[in-house]
Amino acid sequence: MSESKGIPPLKLVKDRGSLHPINHMKDSIMNLLVSFGFEIVDGPEIESEKFNFDMLNIKKSHPARQMHDTFYVETKTSLLRTHTSPVQIRGMLEKKPPLACISGGKVYRKDDDATHLPMFHQVEGIYVDKNISFAQLKDLIYKIIYSLFGEDIELRFRPSYFPFTEPSAEVDILSEEGKWLEILGCGIVNPIVLENCNIDSDKYSGLAFGLGIERIAMLKHGVNDIREFYKSNLDFLSQFK
Amino acid sequence: MKIAYSHLVQYMPENPTIEQISDSLFQLGHEHEIEDNIFDMEFTPNRGDCLSIKGLLRDLAVFYSIDFNQEIYNERINELNIDFENQSEKICPKISFLKLEIDKVPELYKKSLEDYFSDLNLSKNNFFSDVSNYLSYETGQPTHCYAADTINEKLIFHEIEKQEEFETLLDKKITLKDKNAVFSLNNKVINLAGIMGGKSTACSAHTKIVLVECAYFKPEAIIGKSVKYDIKSDASHKFERGVDQDSQDKVLRRFIQVVSEHANIKEMSIVSYNYKENQGIKIPVNVNKIKQIIGININENDYLNYLTKLGFAIEENFVKVPSFRSDIKTQNDLAEEVARVIGYDNISRSEINIPKNENRNYKDIENKLRYFLLDYGFYEVINSPFVGVSSKEAIKVDNPLDSNRAFLRTNLTDSLVENLLFNERRQKDSVKLFEISDIYSSENGIHKKRMLSIIASGKVGLNYQDFSKKIDKKYLTAMFQEILPNEVFDFQILSRDSLDTKIKSEIIALEVNIERFSAEILSYKEASQSPESFAQFNPISDLPSSTKDISYSIKDFSKIRELENLFLSYQSDIVKNIFIFDYFYNEKAQEVKIGFRIVFQSKETTLTAAQIELVYNDLIDQSLKIDGILIPGI
Repeated sequence: MSESKGIPPLKLVKDRGSLHPINHMKDSIMNLLVSFGFEIVDGPEIESEKFNFDMLNIKKSHPARQMHDTFYVETKTSLLRTHTSPVQIRGMLEKKPPLACISGGKVYRKDDDATHLPMFHQVEGIYVDKNISFAQLKDLIYKIIYSLFGEDIELRFRPSYFPFTEPSAEVDILSEEGKWLEILGCGIVNPIVLENCNIDSDKYSGLAFGLGIERIAMLKHGVNDIREFYKSNLDFLSQFK
Repeated sequence: MKIAYSHLVQYMPENPTIEQISDSLFQLGHEHEIEDNIFDMEFTPNRGDCLSIKGLLRDLAVFYSIDFNQEIYNERINELNIDFENQSEKICPKISFLKLEIDKVPELYKKSLEDYFSDLNLSKNNFFSDVSNYLSYETGQPTHCYAADTINEKLIFHEIEKQEEFETLLDKKITLKDKNAVFSLNNKVINLAGIMGGKSTACSAHTKIVLVECAYFKPEAIIGKSVKYDIKSDASHKFERGVDQDSQDKVLRRFIQVVSEHANIKEMSIVSYNYKENQGIKIPVNVNKIKQIIGININENDYLNYLTKLGFAIEENFVKVPSFRSDIKTQNDLAEEVARVIGYDNISRSEINIPKNENRNYKDIENKLRYFLLDYGFYEVINSPFVGVSSKEAIKVDNPLDSNRAFLRTNLTDSLVENLLFNERRQKDSVKLFEISDIYSSENGIHKKRMLSIIASGKVGLNYQDFSKKIDKKYLTAMFQEILPNEVFDFQILSRDSLDTKIKSEIIALEVNIERFSAEILSYKEASQSPESFAQFNPISDLPSSTKDISYSIKDFSKIRELENLFLSYQSDIVKNIFIFDYFYNEKAQEVKIGFRIVFQSKETTLTAAQIELVYNDLIDQSLKIDGILIPGI
C-alpha cells in the first residue's frame, strides 16, 4: 500500500497472542514479591515424601498423606508435590539466613469440581531472619493484598492450622457482595521446620505464606468455573490480552 | 460437626447471643456457618479437643464465664472381671470397660438427652447407643456399646492384616483389607476399632446388659479407614484427631449417671487398662519469647491469665499442658494461644524490610521466548499432565483420579494436538498455540526436562496481510530465524490421518528443550506486553458461528478511514468479530479494494439466516451512506 498516494494504513495489521491468565497472574505476583526483596527458587513437581511432608512437620498420620488426597507415583516411592513448600525446604537447605525465597508453579491434589482441579498453581514465600514476628508477617500480607486488590479492600486474619507454621493464619478479603473469601494461608515458620533445615531456631525465626493462583485469577477476572482456564479455548484465552 | 446454640448457652451465665458466640468462635479460629440456631463447625485437624460441648466451652471460657459441671457417678464401683487381651498396646495405650445392667429399657428420655436428638434432628437407635452418642457430643470421647451377652469369649484387641468380611451395626457389609486395628471374638472381627462396631455384637432396643468400651487409639492407626471403607462415623472423626487419654474414668462415670437418670441400675462394674502413662508436657514460662513471636507487648500476668482460662496450669515457672491439648508442645504453640485470645486482627502491623535481592534474571530466556511467540499471534496454554497413553518411559500414577489417565505425559505435543482440534471444531481457522512445561520420564530414575512445544495450523493471521497465507514449515522456520538465525529447528508436519477431523490444512509442530535457546534471544525486542490490568471474563458462547464477507471498491481514498471506523466501532449482540481480510490497491484502476469479514455468533440461540441478514444489511446500508463507496455487484 502506498501512503504517498493517500492510501491510509489500516488497523488490525497484527494479531497478538496472549499469556495464559494463570501464568500472567503467577508472574504478576512473583514480580511483586521480587520487588519486595524475595529471590525466586525452583524445584521439581515430582517430589519425595521427605521434602513434601516429613521436612515440613507433616506427620505420617496427617490426612493429606493419604492415597485419596495425594497422587503417588512409581509404586509410592515418589509423589506429585501437593504444594510448593518443598521448594522452600530446598531453598533453606541451600542458603544461609537471612534468606527470602519464593517459588511458584504447579501442584497436585486429588480434587475435581467447579472450584478445585487435580492440578493447580501456587506461589509461596519464606523469609528467615532474626526476630521475625507475626506482626511483621501481617505487614507483608497487607502489602501483598493491597497491591493485588487495592488499598480499599477489607481483610481479616483467622487462626488456622498448618503443620509447618505456628502460629498459623488464613486471610480473607471482603467481596463486593459482602462475602468473606479465603485468599491465602500464612504463619510463623514452625521451629521444627527450621531445625529440619539445619537452621538454629533459637537464633532465627521465619515467616511463610502461600497463595492459590487460580483462586486469585478467578476473583480478578470474574471467572466462576476453574475448568475454563484449562480448556485451551481461544475464545477464552483471547480475552486476556 | 453440628452444635446447637441452646446446648452451649445453657452453660454460659452471661447468656451471650448467637452472634456474640459466633464472633468469639471466629476469633478463636473455629470456622462455622449458622443455620436455624445450629453452629455447623469446621475445626482444624489439630483441634480434636473441641469436638464436643465440653471442648468448645473450654475454649470459650477465655471470653465468658462457664458453668459446666455435669454430674457424674462418684461412688465406688466393683472391678469388672473381663477376659480381654490387648495385643497392640502401642495403638491402644489405654482402654476401659464398664458393664452395667438395668431393670428396664426406658421409653422416654430426660430433657437433655431428648433435646440432643430433637434439636440436631438426629435419629435414635437404642437406649445405650443413644446415651453413647450423646456423651460423645457432650464430652468428645466416643464409647462403643456391646450387647454384653454377645461377648462370651475372650475379647482381643489387635492389629491384623488379613482379608475378612465384616458387617457394621448399620448393616453395611465391607471387606477388610491390609492392616486394620480391630476387636475380635472367636477369631472373628466384631468391631473395626475407632470407626464402627459390628452387627453381631450390637445393642438392640431390648438390651438391658451392656458392655461399654472407652478407649484411646493412636490417630495413625485410625486415619484414612473411614474413607477407605466409606463409613462416615463420629467416632472416626474424633479418634483421627485424637481424644483425651485421661478422660475415660470420668466419661464412664458420666455414662452411669445418665443411665441412672433413666433406669434403675441393677449391677455395674468397671476396669481400666493403662499400658503407658500419659506423661504430660511442661513448657517453661517465657513471656519474652511469646512477645518476640507475636511482635506485641504483653505482661506476664496477662499471658498466664489467658493460658489459665484455657485450661493450662502454671506450676513452678512451667506451663503444664492439659491432657486434652495434644497439639501444644512448644513456645510457638503457646504464642498461637495468646494470639488467638488477643485476636489476630487486633495485633498491629510492624513494618517489614526485606533486604533487596540482586538476582533478578530468573527464566529471562523462557520469558523472552513467550513474548516472541505472542508477537506472532501464539496463545499460551496449560494442559493437564495426566494422560492415558503409556510409553515405555512414562511415569505411572499409583492412584489416578481417572484410571483412563493414569500416566504422566512424556511430551507436550499430544496435548496441543487435542487443543488444536478442540478449537478447529469451534470454527477457528487460525490456531497457534504454545506450552512451556516440565515433563518427566522414568528410565533409570526420574528425569525432568523443560520443554517448549508449539503447534499451528490454518491461516497465518486474521488480517489482510496474513489471511491468504497458510501456516507451513517455511513460515515457522522464517519466524524462528528472526531470533536465532543460526539455529535449525526440526518442525514436524503432523498427519491428520488418525485424527477425528475433516480439516485438511497442515499441522506444524515443534517440541524442543528450552535449553536449546541461548542468551542470544535476549536481544529480541518484543512488541507484546504484559497486560496492565486484569480483563473481566466475558462468558463464551458454545453455539455455532457464521461468517459473511463484504467487499468494497473505493476510488476516493479519503473515505477509507471512515469506512474502517464504521466497521470497527459497529455494535451488535450477534457480531463476535470483524476483521479486514483483504486490502488491495489496483494501480491500473486507481482504486482500493477492501474486504471485511464479519463473524456472527449469539450467546442465547443458534442464529437464523434472517437474523444474520438483518445485521449484515444494516452494515451495508450504513456503509453505502458514505460517498464514493461501492460494493461491486450492488
